[in-house]
Amino acid sequence: MVGVLMGRRLPLAVCFVFGLVMFLQYFSEHPVAINLNQTILDYWQIVFAFTLIVGIFTYFKNNVTQISRGSDRPFRLVGLAGFVSMPLLALIWGIKADTPFMWMFENVQAPMQSTVFALLAFFVASASFRGFRARSLPAAVLLLSALLMLLSRSNIGGFFSEGLPEIANWIRDYPSMAARRAILIGIGLGSLTTSLRVIIGIERTWLGGDK
Amino acid sequence: MKRLEARHWTFLGLFVVVTITMLLNIKLEMKVSPYTQDMYTYIESLPEGSVLIISFDHEASSLPEIRPIALAVLRHAFKKGHKLIGVSLLAEGTLIGYRLMRQTADELDLEYGRDYAYLGFRPQYIAAILAMGESIQQTYPRDYLGAPYEQFELLNTVENYNDVAAVISIADGSLTTHWIEYGQARYGVKVLGAVTAAMVTTYDPYLASGQMYAMMGGLRGAAEYEKLIERDGGGARGMLAQSSAHLYVILLVVLGNIVYFVSRKQGGGS
Repeated sequence: MVGVLMGRRLPLAVCFVFGLVMFLQYFSEHPVAINLNQTILDYWQIVFAFTLIVGIFTYFKNNVTQISRGSDRPFRLVGLAGFVSMPLLALIWGIKADTPFMWMFENVQAPMQSTVFALLAFFVASASFRGFRARSLPAAVLLLSALLMLLSRSNIGGFFSEGLPEIANWIRDYPSMAARRAILIGIGLGSLTTSLRVIIGIERTWLGGDK
Repeated sequence: MKRLEARHWTFLGLFVVVTITMLLNIKLEMKVSPYTQDMYTYIESLPEGSVLIISFDHEASSLPEIRPIALAVLRHAFKKGHKLIGVSLLAEGTLIGYRLMRQTADELDLEYGRDYAYLGFRPQYIAAILAMGESIQQTYPRDYLGAPYEQFELLNTVENYNDVAAVISIADGSLTTHWIEYGQARYGVKVLGAVTAAMVTTYDPYLASGQMYAMMGGLRGAAEYEKLIERDGGGARGMLAQSSAHLYVILLVVLGNIVYFVSRKQGGGS
């Protein structure tokens, strides 16, 4: 009995009450509603901060376990070294502009991440040669639009024709925008119905099943 | 030695094109788009001393594109005498934002706490945006370096979004959407976006509907903004490399399609 109450009914009741309260307070300017909103938002951030702690421990534990098994040992050791050294540097020397922590961020972390991200350009170059083919009419239209957009985002579009950037802007303002709007409205309606289903207890998969 | 395949040649070609054009350092002439012009005009039209929140909603990976964008906007806002409050909705953006604000403020000898302040990161972006709408001080009781909020002259004049002219979200992803959906929709704060090129079309519907007030995008947007503020920067420098890379990709697409159609005609398929 207690198990059923704690396992399903209590979470459903909490979800319903909070969903309803948060929905109603949105339309209220009453000080009680504003204070309640502020308090819940504070707790939301605190809960989220705890999820970060869970993530940190899980990352550490998983890597230590895998290292002990000898799986990808050098990579995991480098990962753990960064994981441990950055907080240590911040704790010992602080996080101001000219500290070792900032130096590591600017000279190790940022360039490494930018490098990995920049590799995308090479994949795009390779894919544009091998995969971007006008196999059908819709594919040809897509291809032509993409080429026009590419030209417009550089400053060589105007070199070929003054009208090219205008055409690219037209694609952006009409066909692309129409598709985006349709997707956004679909997402909005989907979110609304899913939220309602969760609040009134029809959607229960977040509890771990539909029993 | 393993023989180079077609993809290796395309990689090598891109590397050569980008490296050579970066070394050339040629500045190309360009026309300022109406989107960037709107962003510039808005910041230009604000009365001196207006408070702007600059939100660094990006990661370190997009720094080469984000940095020129952010520098151009910060330089313009500081030069116009606006008061800037820096925040970040992503942990990585926090450090970058702090550094960029310090750098641009130091160029004009501005004083921390009076002309600008940096509040840093708060976890859970939706909660952070909503909480700032009620009270920025309660959301950020201390600044990035741990000093109390009430210690600073600038921050004492700002309670919530009612005291802020606009939020400028410098983003490489969809975080600006949250500023629009929660900051603008709930609290009515003006939201402007300075985003990477890949994100521009994502925000077009918000811009067209007026939910987003203005937007500049990508390296091209940065180069256009640099032209408007009459100051060279990474945007203008990178445009030749970007334009050449675009031309190279277009060439590859055309070449790939020629190969495809020729082989199809010969009955070989793709």
